Amino acid sequence: MKSVLTTLALTTALTIPGLAMARPVTMTTTLNNYGGDGAYLALYVSDAAGAYVGSLWMAGSKSKYYEHLTDWHRATGGDTAQVNGITGASVGAGRTLEITLDLADALFDAGYTLHIDAAVEDMRDSPNEVAVPLTTQGAGTPVAGRRYVATFAYDM
Amino acid sequence: MKKTLTLLIASTALTTAIVAPAWSAMRTPGDTFAQTVATVLDDAQAALPLVFVSSDDDDDEHEYQNGSRYDDDDDDDCDDDDEDDDECNGSARNPAPAGTVAPPQNGLFGNGAPPQVQVN
Repeated sequence: MKSVLTTLALTTALTIPGLAMARPVTMTTTLNNYGGDGAYLALYVSDAAGAYVGSLWMAGSKSKYYEHLTDWHRATGGDTAQVNGITGASVGAGRTLEITLDLADALFDAGYTLHIDAAVEDMRDSPNEVAVPLTTQGAGTPVAGRRYVATFAYDM
Repeated sequence: MKKTLTLLIASTALTTAIVAPAWSAMRTPGDTFAQTVATVLDDAQAALPLVFVSSDDDDDEHEYQNGSRYDDDDDDDCDDDDEDDDECNGSARNPAPAGTVAPPQNGLFGNGAPPQVQVN
């Protein structure tokens, strides 16, 4: 009986931190009616020093256009492995992209910034369209983009 | 006189050798001129194999003043609109779509639910 309790306590102690280390975060990006084709969007994270940490989402499946997501491309060298498994379709003008990701808790309140680069065919590239610090307080607060993004918000 | 006659015979023989097969070939497919032309064109198309040279459409890219470069709208094989086409030359370099493989191990993702996406 005692050994069963010990095992249970041990498995619980090992499981709970694992569960608490990540949480589902929904990121909602609404585009302006800019009157062009679907926008390519790169969502990625930089640390407190401004260095690229990793990508969260790529809207747009054709890598040949990624060079127009200029800041993301500069940081990654256009490495498509950075967005394997987190790539979807480009987003049409006026439409809303809603992504729910299981993100590490360590991302929040630790000086990280989420960036969005945007590009539209035959229109001006828009690096750093959105730059928003990842904080628990900032959750649910919409921020405006510079050119193509009307609003962006993340909810936890 | 003999030389002129020889030249005349030679040129006539050459002309006959060239024109006769061509004429008979053109006469064979159809009775009218239109039928003949159509048949000859069809034959030519059938004879030529369709050769895929390249789908790299860098040729029809343009550089804009703002530094952005995009393809023409008449780019036929790798349009931006058809997100689901797999025939593009560069498909091997394209990233794996969400849901087909796990997200990258960049320390940002947990091990929970896979990414969910919705466009409204």
